[in-house]
Order: sequence, then C-alpha cells, then structure tokens
Amino acid sequence: MVSTLAGQLPAEAPVVGPQVTLGSLSDDVSSRVLMERAPRWWWVGFAFSFALFIVLVVQTVWLFVNGIGIWGVRIPVAWGFAIAEYVWWIALASGGTIVSALFFLTRSPWRSATNRIAESMLLSAAPCAGLLPILHLGRPGLFYWLFPYSSVMGVWPQVRSPLWWDFICLLCYILMSLMYYYAGILPDLATVRDRAQSRSKQIAYGILSLGWRGSVREWQNQRIVYATMSAIMAPMVISVHSVVGLDFAAGLTPGWHDTQFPPYFFFGAVISGTAVIIMLTILVRWGYSLQSVLTEYHLNAMAKVMLVGSVLLTYAYVWEAFGPLYGGKVADKAEFLERIFGFTAPAFWSEKVLTVVVPQLLWFPAVRRSQLLLFLISGGIIIGMWQERFVFTTASLEHNYMPSSWGQFYPTVWDWAALVGTIGLFLTMFFLFLRFAPIVAMAEVREVVEEERAG
Amino acid sequence: MNLFGLVGVFDSAEAVRRAAARLRAAGFRAFDAYTPYPVEGLDDIVHPGAQLFLPLLMFAAAIVGAAWGFWIQYWDEVLNYPLNVGGRPFNSWPAFIVGAFEFMLLVTVTAGFVGMLARSGLPKLYHPIFEASGFHNASRDRFVICIEATDPRYDGQSLRVLLRELGAEQIEEVRA
Repeated sequence: MVSTLAGQLPAEAPVVGPQVTLGSLSDDVSSRVLMERAPRWWWVGFAFSFALFIVLVVQTVWLFVNGIGIWGVRIPVAWGFAIAEYVWWIALASGGTIVSALFFLTRSPWRSATNRIAESMLLSAAPCAGLLPILHLGRPGLFYWLFPYSSVMGVWPQVRSPLWWDFICLLCYILMSLMYYYAGILPDLATVRDRAQSRSKQIAYGILSLGWRGSVREWQNQRIVYATMSAIMAPMVISVHSVVGLDFAAGLTPGWHDTQFPPYFFFGAVISGTAVIIMLTILVRWGYSLQSVLTEYHLNAMAKVMLVGSVLLTYAYVWEAFGPLYGGKVADKAEFLERIFGFTAPAFWSEKVLTVVVPQLLWFPAVRRSQLLLFLISGGIIIGMWQERFVFTTASLEHNYMPSSWGQFYPTVWDWAALVGTIGLFLTMFFLFLRFAPIVAMAEVREVVEEERAG
Repeated sequence: MNLFGLVGVFDSAEAVRRAAARLRAAGFRAFDAYTPYPVEGLDDIVHPGAQLFLPLLMFAAAIVGAAWGFWIQYWDEVLNYPLNVGGRPFNSWPAFIVGAFEFMLLVTVTAGFVGMLARSGLPKLYHPIFEASGFHNASRDRFVICIEATDPRYDGQSLRVLLRELGAEQIEEVRA
C-alpha cells in the first residue's frame, strides 16, 4: 500500500533504517511501554509538566471563586488570552489530524511512523482547547446548556450561532479523534500484550487490546473502517477549524468580519500543528532512541509540509492587509493600521518574522536535515502563531467602530497562569501517552519495512 | 481439552499466502491466518468476495446522522421554541447545516467503530488460538495459520505433512 513513493526516496535517507526488522521494530517500540522504570528524562519532564498543570488547577479554582474578572478581559476587549489560546490549541490539535488523516489518504510512507505522535499530540491538545472557552464562560457550571438536549426548561441553545457550531464541532472532533486513535492503536496494544512479561501488564494490555488476534477478518474490517475514518477526519478537521474562523468572521468587528477567515485559520493549523509534531518527534526519537524508526526522512517530509503551511499563511496575510487597505472602509483601515503600528505592533511584526520569513529557510535541504534548526524554527512558529492569535483577537476589539470606546488589553498574572497551565496539561497528557501507549504505529511501519525489504 | 485445530507458523508473508491458497484449493474452509500486519491478497483467499457490510453500514449511519442532526435543530428552532432572530425564518436551514454535518460525521465514525468491533467479534478477551505456543509472535514477525478441527476435511496426520511441505517452521496441535 505504500509503494507509490518508494521509488522517489532519497537514497541516503530511507523511510526506516535498514537495520529495522519486523522483530526489532516490535521489540523496540513495545519495550518503551513495558520497561519497569521510566528513564530519568521522563520523570524530569513529567514532574515539570505536572508542576505546570498544578498552576492550571490553582488558576481554575481561583477563577471559579472570583469569576473571569481575574483575567484582563474588560470591555471593550471581552475576548482575551483564553479565546486566543483556544484558537491556538485547536490549531495545534487540528495539525495532528491533518498529518494523520490527510496523509493516510495520500499513502505517504512517512505518515506511518509519525501518526501516533501526531494523534497523541492532538488528544493532549484538544482538552486544552475545550477547557478554555468553558472557563471563559461567565458561569462555567452551566456549560452543559450548550448541549442540544431536551431540557425541561424548554431552553435550547441558539443553533444559528457559530459559537454553538463551534461547541458541536469540538465535541464531535474529540469523540471522533478518540475512536480514530483507538481503531489505529488496537493492533499495537495486542503487540504490547504479547510482549508483556508481568501478569498485571498482560491483563491490562489484554483488556485494552480487546482480544485482538490479527486474524484476516479483523484486519479486513480494521482497514475498511480506518480508511473510511481517515476520509472523514480530513474534511472534519477542516470544518472544525473553519468554524473557529467563523466565530470571528460572523462578528461585525473590524478586522474580524472577513470571508477569508475559515481557510486562513486552517492554514494556521497546518503550519503550527506540523511544527509541534516536528518538535515532539525530535524529542521522542532521542528520548526513546528510535532514530532508526523515526528518521530524517520523516523530519524532511514534515518540514516540507510546514513550509507549504507557511506559504499558504503568507497568502492569507497578504489578503488580510489588502482587504482593509483597498476596501475603503474607514474603520477597517484604522483598525488595521493600529494593529500593525500601534500597541500590538511588536507582536505583529515579530510574528511575521517567525512564521513567514524564517520558515523560508526550509527551502534549503541542509536546513531540513538539521534537527537543531528544525527544532528552533518549529518553536518559533508555535510562538509566532500564539502571537498571531493574540493580536487579531485583541487588536480588533481594541479598535472598534467608535474611537471613543477604544481600549487596551493588559493580561494579568492569571492570564499567564492559564497559558502556562494549559501547556502543563498538554505536556502531562503527552508524557502519559508516551509512557503507556506505543508511540509508533507498529502495524503500519511493518508494512513500510516489508516494502523496503522487498525493494 | 477439546481439539481446536492445527497451527502452522510461517516466517514470511509470501509463505503464508501460498499456504492459505493451497488450503483453500484443497477445499478447506474453516481456517484462519493471524498476521502482524494486513498481508495483501490474503483476505481474498481466506474470505473472498466484496466486503460491503461496513461501508454500507457507515453510509446508512451518515444518512441517519445527518437527518438526526438536522431534526434536533429543526425541532428546537421551529417546533419547540421558535425564536425570532432579526426576522429570519424559523427554519433557517443554511444555519443548521454545520450542526447536521458534524452529527453526520460523528454518527458515521461511531457506527464504523462499533461495526468494526462487532463484525470482528471483539471485544473477546479469550480465544482458543491464544493457547498456541507460537501465537505470541503473530503480533511480531511471524505469520500463523490455523486449520480448525471443525472443518470436515480436518485430518491431523495429512495436514501436518501438508504444512511441512508448505514450509511451516513450527507445527502444533492446539487444545483448549
């Protein structure tokens, strides 16, 4: 199934190393899950992440006690960090689905080894995205009113609102991603079960793998459903992030009310999602010594996807400037000029450097081969995309139609705590995935191995 | 301990495909192969014919999901709690499309996931094949074929000869 690209592989960078066999692959990946003691770096990383997660817990408790006034959101800026970061997180998660589902459909061989990292990343990022808008509700305890259930009060959500679409999208997205992840990991859990030595692990992974045997019928059904799921997840994730764009586009605020927002947001998801997967892949391959399975080939391919994302995003940026400057609406133009020359100018311009200028280095093969540079460029993109979300969320609200009601957004310490805390939640979950679930889709890489062996 | 079947362990996808084809040609029907990854062509030998159930199930689920998603919104906005928003029609269906679309996808994926497990007989934490000593490698780098004793042509002696001929590196009777 992965033969299409085999002829085009650069000779010096095979998809998986020549020393990888079916046996060594299964043993290597399973042993990372089954080892008695986690390596020291895991404990250090997990402790650090968990400490950040505690910040989120404290922040949330303080928020529940005092309300969202602890954040810097004040009229006219009613949407601050929480919403900007919601968009940021959901973009990172969406990038995971793009790498996993879209490139399954294109039968890209590099997708096989990285898709589990991508999906673990998205399942860690999606809860962060889901949490922030709920915390941002004035009364978080009533968030369940968004469910379209037949409440005895006869109170229904307003289903004509993009904000409700967004809730439904995110809910469906998380549930579907879980099923997609599980349908893919089932054979790998069986591999771990068969390698496990201790009774408790045999039982635990035996239950998790649901008794998977790898029979012909099981593979047949799994492949049919997995391929169909991929074909569904790819448009699904585009719809999710487009609807996030509509949250803003349907607002009449200058700078938001723009038809290009859905694709523009999606481009942001492509670049930032790939960036975080590249960073995690580099860390995982060193931490777990999986250099022969997660090779330069994978990083090279993802770097190209990131470059495409950067070019697409640049295109959206051009239109973002062209619209207000050419359109002739005074408020749009004033808002745009304030955004690029006013209070948010440093964030605006440094973001353009990080996501548009610096990624152009990826045109050079030498840069795509250097893991240090890739890591730095990816980190810059993720920071840049955060700035971008922050700038367009607040700058527009700061400069609405009425100059007399212009105002400034200043984040408080609790805003920063929410940012740091969600990063903690993300990392904590990712470290748990790393420890307890096979981080490489063995069943799929086996096909790549056999393909390469056959030549 | 009832006899479950005779297991042959092979070391390559080629060998297991050849063995399955040979068994099929010899008239065996109650046999199955256990492989570490889906071996191309093996499904056409062991379970020939088009596999339409799951695709059709998911398609039907898509229609049901879309209709359900739309109905929830229609019921809410038109029948149960009509709310005049800016003079728009109660049945402002373009605005309901997003919700209907997401419900459609959710129901489709759920049907596929549940259908996949149900059609494969999962979850089933115990299966007699787990008793075979070579089975744990079927999830690593070995390819296992099991001819079940329920097959009317099952004959332990001649099957052993056949499996050895086909290149099985390990042959074992499974009792469970």
